[in-house]
Amino acid sequence: MMSYLEEHYELIHKTPRLFALHVTREQLLDTLHQITTHTSFDTLSQLTCTDWIEEERFELGYMLTNALRSHNLMLKCSIARDKVTMPSLALLFAQAEVMERELHEMFGIGFEGNETLYDFALEGWCDIPPMRREFDTLAYVNAHYDFREGREDNLDVKEEIKKRKAAAKSAKETPSGA
Amino acid sequence: MKFELKNSLAPLSALSKIFEHPQTLCYPEVKSETVSGYRGFHINDLSTCIGCANCQDVCMNEAIDMIAIDKDKNPKNNSGCIPRIDYGRCCWCSLCTDVCPPDSLKLESECIWADDDANRFLYQPKDKPC
Amino acid sequence: MERKVITIYHGPQHPGITGNMSVELDLMGETITRARTHVGYLHRGFEKLIERRTIIQAFTIVCRICVPEPDPNEANFALAVERLAGIEVSERASYIRVMVLEMARLGAQLLWMAGQSGSVGLGTVGQWSIYDRDLILDLFEQLTGGRVYHMYIYPGGVRRELPDGFLERLSALLDYLQKRLDAYDRLFFDNASFQKRAIGVGVVRGEEVLRRGFSGQVLRGCGFARDLRRDNPYLLYDQLEFDIPTQSAGDVYARALVRRAEMRESIRILRQVIAQMPEEGAIMQKLPKHRKFTLPKEDTYVAVESARGEFGYYMAGDGSEMIRRMQVKGPSLIHAFSLLEPLLVGEELSNVALIMNSLGICPPEIER
Repeated sequence: MMSYLEEHYELIHKTPRLFALHVTREQLLDTLHQITTHTSFDTLSQLTCTDWIEEERFELGYMLTNALRSHNLMLKCSIARDKVTMPSLALLFAQAEVMERELHEMFGIGFEGNETLYDFALEGWCDIPPMRREFDTLAYVNAHYDFREGREDNLDVKEEIKKRKAAAKSAKETPSGA
Repeated sequence: MKFELKNSLAPLSALSKIFEHPQTLCYPEVKSETVSGYRGFHINDLSTCIGCANCQDVCMNEAIDMIAIDKDKNPKNNSGCIPRIDYGRCCWCSLCTDVCPPDSLKLESECIWADDDANRFLYQPKDKPC
Repeated sequence: MERKVITIYHGPQHPGITGNMSVELDLMGETITRARTHVGYLHRGFEKLIERRTIIQAFTIVCRICVPEPDPNEANFALAVERLAGIEVSERASYIRVMVLEMARLGAQLLWMAGQSGSVGLGTVGQWSIYDRDLILDLFEQLTGGRVYHMYIYPGGVRRELPDGFLERLSALLDYLQKRLDAYDRLFFDNASFQKRAIGVGVVRGEEVLRRGFSGQVLRGCGFARDLRRDNPYLLYDQLEFDIPTQSAGDVYARALVRRAEMRESIRILRQVIAQMPEEGAIMQKLPKHRKFTLPKEDTYVAVESARGEFGYYMAGDGSEMIRRMQVKGPSLIHAFSLLEPLLVGEELSNVALIMNSLGICPPEIER
């Protein structure tokens, strides 16, 4: 099983049971097809996406598992962050449908051939997809929610220490009774 | 599979429980035993609290305010501040007690507080030595 | 006679649904002709929140991903951080982790039993098993300070030393539970009314179940002995003896029998842990630069076997104090959509709760 992968791909050994290899968007379907027919990595167990905003790319990870569930292989595919669609794997793996649906909602990635890209966990969401790095949770919360009243007496501890030191200093310089 | 009469009658063995004492506690007359180390409400030993705000920094829920103390109880408290916790936000993870340098902030087993106004849930830890 | 198709929503406010989710059902008479799963009633955005938190702050969030069994999440999080940072955990801490995971598994199976028996109207079983689960929670309370959310398995080890006499109390509880399991056999597993309802319902079968990414009792209920504790061992599971129970029928009853046997296996593992745990040893490997702890720019994937199937975490660090991405995959993501939707077609309306409970579908891990 491993020899085929070693022979044909640049395999990265992450741990003894976890491997990774990089593919381009164009190679993905072909590579998946080759791997599922020639090796026992024939189950898609997770579809991940990481937003590397500073490098202007998304890194998709297709996590494959073998039939014995003993080894994992991750196919990594970097795509541009905007206006890029991926081919859907729904025909290859039934479970890919819902995973793609989730990534479509959370990152705004389109998947060609997936008919189910409607609302997943969010309902009527018209802001930018929330898992993208440019979506600022704090700004969203500040705009949409109120904070509990009665917490305005919070003090900045560093400021208080400075104040106290200054007060102690001035008390020393002007001794009482002078 | 064959369905046997035995399989229909065996569940009736549960009836024997009728003659046993109930397993439930009659709260509030009988309370369950308190466990030492339970993550309940906060206590803060003001004679050792140094007002460093480590607890405020580590709190991921931003539940802790540092407020001015009425009367200094610890000469080493450089800021004159002590923590107060918003129990609407606290998740009782006890990271604040983990990072407390003098170990003055602790959690006690007391954990019941009922109120009809959610905005009152700003908790001043009891001044108890630990 | 003209037959009309009506559409109903099963859930989210329904005692027969497993958590805050709903299944949209097209019914012809009592028979389901189409099912669609809807989630979104419980989305808390944990994966997004984690991006704003340092690693020790993020640790307190992960347990909330699964209410019945939070510990596999803590273990996954700790294992992923340790693998990225290259931290070794002491043997004693690993044993304590195994103990916590197995106690949680037992508790989750007892909670499942309450749901499964409730779905066929056997209320007494649920009352008993919830009581027995509470006894496990009592032990968790002594060990971790919390009953449901333990926040105990920490990157680098575990947070607290065992209290005095803890292993003896655990051992006594195991003796008690062993006896109770026989009572549950009489009351529930061998109960003719449960057998009548469960046999031949919700059948999952065929070679393709492996390819479709199912895990847990769904696989073991149709004859595939797959268990990550054995197949891809983590912690100390490769040094412990246990069997992987399987059944061949693939129906609700087969999955129930698998769970029945698994409870006995959990007790067996816990007894070995009690016997083998080293008495002395560090429980915590201090994280370097504790609060300013950083992860290298690398990624990894870890998976553990929870009481309901495979829990996998993908984690990527970016050299800062925050985690760049942590993506959770619980067993329910696949089970609630690509398995449940076709499985319900052709079943009767009264079997929906039965099948959902038997698949162990739990929405918090679908939406995080």
